[in-house]
Amino acid sequence: MGGNQSVPKVTAQDRAILDLKLQRDKVKQYQKKIQAVLDREYEIAKRQLAEGHKDRAVSTLRKRKYQESILHKTDAQLENLETLVSTIEFSLIQVSVMHGLKQGNEVLKQIHKELNIENVEKLLEETAEAREYQREIDEMLANTLTVEDEEAVQAELAALQGEQLGAGQKKTPVVFPPVPKTEPVASKPVVMEPRAEDQAASPERERVPVAA
Amino acid sequence: MQLSTHTTPSGFLLPSIHSAPPFFTQQPNPATQAIVAEQWSKLILSYARFRNMFTLRVEDAEIPGGEWDEVLRNERINRRLLPAHLASLIADMVSKNLASYDPPNQTRSVLLWWRQPDEWAEVLYQWADSTGQMNTILTFYEILDPPVPSALSGIPITVLRRAVSILTKSQRAQIISVSDGEGVRFLSRNGK
Repeated sequence: MGGNQSVPKVTAQDRAILDLKLQRDKVKQYQKKIQAVLDREYEIAKRQLAEGHKDRAVSTLRKRKYQESILHKTDAQLENLETLVSTIEFSLIQVSVMHGLKQGNEVLKQIHKELNIENVEKLLEETAEAREYQREIDEMLANTLTVEDEEAVQAELAALQGEQLGAGQKKTPVVFPPVPKTEPVASKPVVMEPRAEDQAASPERERVPVAA
Repeated sequence: MQLSTHTTPSGFLLPSIHSAPPFFTQQPNPATQAIVAEQWSKLILSYARFRNMFTLRVEDAEIPGGEWDEVLRNERINRRLLPAHLASLIADMVSKNLASYDPPNQTRSVLLWWRQPDEWAEVLYQWADSTGQMNTILTFYEILDPPVPSALSGIPITVLRRAVSILTKSQRAQIISVSDGEGVRFLSRNGK
């Protein structure tokens, strides 16, 4: 058993606690015994009184009183032992809390060691440099293109945009009205020669004034 | 013949076979006797569990008014289990690991295992866990007679020892001994 690594070792402390608890158990058992004697003596005293032996009943009761005082004393001792046991148990918990705090502190320290300000600054600088570098590459690539290439790229972009627009809304062919074949005669006074205009204008044109 | 179950004054429900006169007699036919023995051991264990009793003695068959009276005797059909028959039943139970001679090296008194030792170990471990007594050093007395009554109150120390020794094998408990006594510490399974 002692060689097993998964079983904690029995320390002197453990033994002391066990000893204490055993003592406590003994006191408890002793109390039980005295209680039994007390009950028995009470019965005896009662019987003696019934039989008419008053003196004997008194002496039995005296004995009983004495036992009772012992019981009270052991009560106090038991209380002492129990207080001690619970104090020890509480202290053990305090120790484990302390241990936990210590470990937590250590971990935090370690994390901070990896996270010191210099490193962070350096990291940020490096990131900025990398970004700058990327921008330079972009510029260089843009500069290597000729004017025609650039135009072609722009045209392609426009075509792409056009396609996207076309995809967005179905293109309906725009129908323009036919170009009038005759010369507009609006400059002539309309009231003067309505007939001449009627004849000259297309049927479309004719309808406009009527509607107005 | 109509056999019926019977409820004893303590509230235990006796099976109908308990009202059959042949049940109390040792049967000459081994096959029949085996069935009788099986029924008896079942009855004895369930009664022991019901009354939270652990020991059965051969002399229990001879004491009228004893704590086993309700089972070993049936006044309604005027039958009782004879000590010789009880002794053979006890021997049968011991051979089936349902009981063990306690103290050892005699055949008059047995400890009844109405919970098998590993079941007791489980009960013990559960109790320690649920009452938050892991990693605390406990005395045997403290377990047998705890301030708050538990399933383990009043179990014989032999049972407790067996249960603890099973737990130590699976490293869930550790026995600590000092000059004037022993204690046990329960260890959580995933502990270091």
